[in-house]
Amino acid sequence: MIILYKESAIRGFGKGIKTLWALTKIVVPVYFIVTFLGYTPVLDKISNLFEPMMNILGLPGEASLPLVLGNAINLYAGVGAMATMTLTVKQATILAIILSFSHSLLLESAVANKAGVNLGLVVFIRIGLALLSGIFFNMIL
Amino acid sequence: MDITVYLKESFMGSMSSVLTMAIIIIPLMVVMEILKDAKVLEKLSLRLTPMASFLDISKESIFPLIIGIVFGLSYGAGIIIDSTEDGNLSKKDLYIIVIFLLACHAIFEDTFIFAAVGAKLWLVLGVRLIVAIIISYIASKLIDAKKLSKEY
Repeated sequence: MIILYKESAIRGFGKGIKTLWALTKIVVPVYFIVTFLGYTPVLDKISNLFEPMMNILGLPGEASLPLVLGNAINLYAGVGAMATMTLTVKQATILAIILSFSHSLLLESAVANKAGVNLGLVVFIRIGLALLSGIFFNMIL
Repeated sequence: MDITVYLKESFMGSMSSVLTMAIIIIPLMVVMEILKDAKVLEKLSLRLTPMASFLDISKESIFPLIIGIVFGLSYGAGIIIDSTEDGNLSKKDLYIIVIFLLACHAIFEDTFIFAAVGAKLWLVLGVRLIVAIIISYIASKLIDAKKLSKEY
């Protein structure tokens, strides 16, 4: 199959590098910034502030950071922040499920709006799905 | 704080994350590009036409839907807009496709990246797919109900 589709494979490799570069450009700076915050009281303060809310989702307070970054910027920023944290498999999975329903809210919701679906509805569905699935999987996992 | 420790920790940590992602993303992109050129999704769409009656959308909607699920919103949107301009998609088809894709798009790329930071791959993938099917099914019923109430 690879031999038959050599050109496709080469193009795919190029796309892989491109995606990886797009990812690296965001993941690395986010990693540096979040690690830096870890040395300051800021991360603890954010963490304590969101702790009660995040506990409903089965997540530690610091996981609010990937949630905010993932929604305000994009998935890669959320993943970059996740990478700095020591999360259990359960926590990482819940965070991944939440973020996969609700991320890049500004950009992607605009795309959906362009396709003719109401913007408020789009954001409501995404955040709703994210929260419900977080609460649900915290209970069953 | 010790600046060299900080720099070393950040550099090593971020590089190891990027490396893990490289190992996952590059082979995935190669496979996806082959799938695209082998027209596998066209064939898959033909097999999945029964899904169209389940979601009460036209058979023509299935291909743009599958493209969006696999390749993501930006590539999917191009195909959706093309199909709309060709007049193949109704307003309802468009709504259902967009609602489905909101919950579930670029399913492999995004999920594999999450797996790189410790999430359970198949669980995340399965949940997205199942939830997308459920909400678009509900949406499909609701949109019908709206249409009916307008007729009365």
